Amino acid sequence: MPVVTIYYDRLGKLLGRKVSKEKIVSTLPFLGLDIEEEGKDHINVEYSPNRPDFSTDYGIALALQGLLGIKTGIQPLRIGKGSAVVRVDRSVAKIRPFLVAVEARGGRLDDETIRQMIAMQEDLHNGLGRRRKKVSIGMHDLDKIKLPLVYKAVDRKHRFVPLGSPQEMSVSEILEGTETGMAYGNLLLGNKKVPVIMDSLGKTISFPPIINSKLTEVTTGSKNLFVEVTASDREAAEDTLAVMAQALQNAGFKILSVRITGFRNSTPRFKSRKMILDPSLVNGVLGLDLSKAQMVNSLRKNRLDARARGKQILCTIPRYRTDIFGPVDLAEEVALGYGIPNLQPTVPPAGVAGQKNPVTVAMEGARETMVGLGYLEVMNFGLVGRQTLYDFTKRNSSDILSVADSKSQEHQILRDLLLPGLIETLSRNIHEPYPQKIFETGTVFKKASPVSEEIHLACVSAHNDVGFTEMKSVLQSFLKSGFDITCTTKISQDPMFVDGRTADIIIGGKKVGIVGEVSPEVSANFKMRVPIAAFEIKLTGLIFD
Amino acid sequence: MSQVLHPIEQKILRALGEAQCLTPDELSEKTHLSIDQVRRGIEWLKFKELVQVNESEKTFVKLAKRGSEASERGLPERRLVNFLRSIAVSSCEMGQARDHLKEEFGPAIANAKKNGWVEVHDNRIMLRGYHDATPEEKIIKLIQSKGQEPLTLEEVQDRDAFESLRKRPDFLSVTSTKHSVVNITEKGAETVSNMGVGEDNALTRAIDVEAPAPVIFAAKSHPLADVIDEVREIFVSLGFSELVGNSAQSSFWNFDALFIPQGHPAREMQDTFFLKDSNAKAPASQKQIREVSLAHKNGWHYDWQLEAARKMVLRTHTTCVTIRELAEGGHEEARLFSIGRVYRNEKVSYKHLVEFNQVEGVVVGKSVTLRDLMGLQMEFYRKMGIKKAKFWPTFFPYTEPSLQSMIYNDRLGKWVELFGMGIFRPEVTRPLGIKHPVLAWGGGIERIAMLKFGLDDVRELYNNRFNWLRSVPKCL
Repeated sequence: MPVVTIYYDRLGKLLGRKVSKEKIVSTLPFLGLDIEEEGKDHINVEYSPNRPDFSTDYGIALALQGLLGIKTGIQPLRIGKGSAVVRVDRSVAKIRPFLVAVEARGGRLDDETIRQMIAMQEDLHNGLGRRRKKVSIGMHDLDKIKLPLVYKAVDRKHRFVPLGSPQEMSVSEILEGTETGMAYGNLLLGNKKVPVIMDSLGKTISFPPIINSKLTEVTTGSKNLFVEVTASDREAAEDTLAVMAQALQNAGFKILSVRITGFRNSTPRFKSRKMILDPSLVNGVLGLDLSKAQMVNSLRKNRLDARARGKQILCTIPRYRTDIFGPVDLAEEVALGYGIPNLQPTVPPAGVAGQKNPVTVAMEGARETMVGLGYLEVMNFGLVGRQTLYDFTKRNSSDILSVADSKSQEHQILRDLLLPGLIETLSRNIHEPYPQKIFETGTVFKKASPVSEEIHLACVSAHNDVGFTEMKSVLQSFLKSGFDITCTTKISQDPMFVDGRTADIIIGGKKVGIVGEVSPEVSANFKMRVPIAAFEIKLTGLIFD
Repeated sequence: MSQVLHPIEQKILRALGEAQCLTPDELSEKTHLSIDQVRRGIEWLKFKELVQVNESEKTFVKLAKRGSEASERGLPERRLVNFLRSIAVSSCEMGQARDHLKEEFGPAIANAKKNGWVEVHDNRIMLRGYHDATPEEKIIKLIQSKGQEPLTLEEVQDRDAFESLRKRPDFLSVTSTKHSVVNITEKGAETVSNMGVGEDNALTRAIDVEAPAPVIFAAKSHPLADVIDEVREIFVSLGFSELVGNSAQSSFWNFDALFIPQGHPAREMQDTFFLKDSNAKAPASQKQIREVSLAHKNGWHYDWQLEAARKMVLRTHTTCVTIRELAEGGHEEARLFSIGRVYRNEKVSYKHLVEFNQVEGVVVGKSVTLRDLMGLQMEFYRKMGIKKAKFWPTFFPYTEPSLQSMIYNDRLGKWVELFGMGIFRPEVTRPLGIKHPVLAWGGGIERIAMLKFGLDDVRELYNNRFNWLRSVPKCL
């Protein structure tokens, strides 16, 4: 989850009232913010990506004001009429069709404000923007731009000076030679042309969703900003810009509209939404008996507008609150405003008795019987490495079932047998006294359409006098004492076991497992110096259906 | 008296008090104890640090059957040379020599050639060079010189010759025996001097009941399995019935049915394990697919793809099992739970595993509320022995309202995040035909196990170190 750094002195100014550190630290969690780290002059909090407005201290201050009762109700986004125009050319329709923008004028940018804005931009790219696939943002120094602008597609030979580069580069060079080009270039795959925003002098100001131009770089000297959002979805573009605009307004900028023309595009209006809320729904969800007035008050504490209208409550939701879908979301807002600590837990009576699944009951019996036979239970992962599962055990890997792009080599194949893991467990305990007797029960995976899962039991015994007969005794006893099942053993061959000391386990005429002495070669692969005997049996279909 | 000595110990100590160091056999002779009694006594005394035992291994070499024959008649190659010498021309046909040496002809000719004693031309063997005693012959002589007493390996100088002689079948018999010598320690000597004369008759039958006994271990279930069982018992006692489901699930049930949009970061390979080349043919019914896709289009404004919903994943939570049961079981009122492995494509560290256990319970009912959910959570914690818990708001994509619970851990002296909870969103329940509100709560089991066992590294739970597994008490 994304993290925001809040400096107490900045936050104090934004809140407009002196609030103690302790009060701030104890209130933040009730906004859904997790405290990551408390510093001397700052605090790091984690926020959920469904609240992009929390990506700056401005948004967090706004919400805190509400909960602390400093200011409640909507803080309106005031948009003045601007004169700037962006024409969206048809050529971007199949690449990245939508653009919205605003001007932000007359603000002052110090280093911390720029840092907050850039952090917000990154968080929005990753969250609402789906790693820039859906939405990307460009923030520019407006005074470096000659209006009006055009958003259009150009070919990959097009050249300009990108941010962070000392010289002109072609689009292709940017995609192949810069960090962001390589990271996000795949979003433009399949298009010969790429989208750019150009000013009236024909200068490129942005190459979305990759990089801005150096020309319009925002610095502490910038007074007027131009913020554009390009997107594959119009709604998402406007959501994102609303969050940006609200933060910029709180940072002291005056927001002016930018007229957007062109195919399927229009000027964003940032309209707040109206929603009718049924108080009985809220009380039903929360298990409370709040009056309409209490609900209105609670909603306003979350910086929404609300008023009673007949039996209902009329809510107004600012555009930047993209997380509110419907009435249950407003019920949560009421709960937050009312105060989670004020909700007293209640325990509803249980209607019927609970019960374990029959599979669990059978497995408990199996595990208990193995413990009774003197075997220690171990637990291994289902997602394992190739070396243990196939190479060391000399097993055929043609039906290998693997996952894509695992971050670790030891976890990339789904096990189809438990025994390799048990032998590996033995090999990690060679310094412990023998005899060693261990077992495991767990799910194994087989290729089917698409995958079949079975529960197996495997057990191994390792000591100098171990042999086939000992293992067969354990197997027989497990089946007989545990489940009154009788099995026979039929000589067979298996690469993991010694020839002549290996048998299939047969129950009701069907092979359900294997028992034998582990081959010295396999043992040696695991650096084992003590002989091992083992069995593995499929329990699915045997002790439960 | 701090230390009681068994009569056997007393006898051994006395004998050692006189002789300082003896072998077990010598001890048996001196004390008139059986060799087994002596061995047992030595073990006890060793433990009390009254004696110490030095072990050494000795290897003895004797002549075996053919070795002794060779000591009388000479090695096969020597016999060949002698035979050739006995013939006037010092050479003979191969056949002649074969008749003379019979089955030893082969080694004889090979070794004689190797020694440079003979040459073979046109099927004739001709004597050549000098025929001094070979190193192998010297070893046989050495053993012979010892008579009945065996030769120890240390006495053999030429190890190469020894090894090559050893390779010849049935020439040498090599045996090794372990020798232990028992020495009395300073503490032992002191004990002897305090023992006085004669046996301590009053204590003849006493043993040292205060001495530690050998350590043995009970076979047990895995501590983490015990925690899983405990959690399961609590859910059952709260009236919940258990669901069991597969680990491999279609994206449809793991994500789409829970209103997690297809572009959501959680659905990327960086976070979720996708099975290679594995797709569900029909992840859900036509109706379920249609309704769920509509909810996504209306709620998230994007082009929902069936292909993405068909991709098989290793479940990232057990909620996929629960939601499917709710969608297909037609429950009006129910308490259900599922517990099992879930998977995340994480870098393994002291706090993250790629595979861990999760429990999740749901309550379906006409008039269940958020406060009920908090109450059930508190009941669960109370049964786990957790007294202090508090709630904070949080976010999960498929519940609203959503809460996070924190519990106070005495050992760590701080609040720790544990289970999450919430009420399923209407965007989840409505498309699947679930009529009543669904309360859901759950979390990771390993977290609880770590707190319970005082672990700081979650990997310990899966290291299967016998040492650790045995050290955790069954009841804690």
